[in-house]
Amino acid sequence: MTVAELKELLGARVLNEGVDLSREVGSAYVCDLLSWVMAKGAPGTAWVTVMNHLNVIAVATLLDMSCVIIPENIEVKPETLEKAAEEEIPVLSTGKTAFEIAGLMHSKGLGDPVK
Amino acid sequence: MRELSLHILDLAQNSLTANAKRLDILVSEQKALDRLTITLQDDGKGMSPEFLANVTSPFTTTRTTRKVGLGIPMFKANAELSGGDFDIWSQVGVGTRMTANFVLSSIDRPPLGDMVSTMISLVIANPTFHFHYEYAVDGEAFTFDTEEIMQVLGGVPLDTPEVVSWMMDYLKEGMESLHGGA
Repeated sequence: MTVAELKELLGARVLNEGVDLSREVGSAYVCDLLSWVMAKGAPGTAWVTVMNHLNVIAVATLLDMSCVIIPENIEVKPETLEKAAEEEIPVLSTGKTAFEIAGLMHSKGLGDPVK
Repeated sequence: MRELSLHILDLAQNSLTANAKRLDILVSEQKALDRLTITLQDDGKGMSPEFLANVTSPFTTTRTTRKVGLGIPMFKANAELSGGDFDIWSQVGVGTRMTANFVLSSIDRPPLGDMVSTMISLVIANPTFHFHYEYAVDGEAFTFDTEEIMQVLGGVPLDTPEVVSWMMDYLKEGMESLHGGA
């Protein structure tokens, strides 16, 4: 599944418009503790988090993730989105909860990140 | 990080990389002010004003292997998440000092964690380095200073198993005696 297809599946919006959505999503992960995600995430992971500061983009960049998904329509800081655009990390937003997002991704066969 | 002691372990590495000779780690619980303060101060090479201005951004790093550094940014974010704040001062040739204030009772404040293991890990990995650790609870303090210990031991390395075992007990008893809660 590509990021564009994931966006459709979740009924999500892209907060940093213009970013490339053709990347393949390899796995999915849900966690808000950034250091934990640093240890668990992998290249291509779609990451769901309620955190909205710049450090999120740094972790996603570090691990070469496919996208970041922000649940419950949580507002994301402009500086976070600017950096996400620069680093070419799509930031998706949806009104769904992390639980619902995880359920949808799981139903389409996305699994845990493999290091 | 799930525990504040892991931040301390991580940030101490910055001081070692900066060729510091001494690192002061101060942990202070002030129950009346509902505050937990962590200060790290070293006499390393310090940072230029330009680097310092951007050091809390995760896209600022001295690493050459990757462009992202999250040690200081995650520490700052954790302090702010608990309703606290973060401040850093540095001067080239003098050193660096950073202070994070946490709201002691905040549900989003990570626990202090295992400071005994943190200090022991640091000392074993750097047995000749001068670590000065102070843990204070409402004004009462416990101090662990590796230079003092080295002087008393007169040449016995700090990473000798018997010395490590003694240091663990000393740290454990010293910290427990203050009845902190963090």
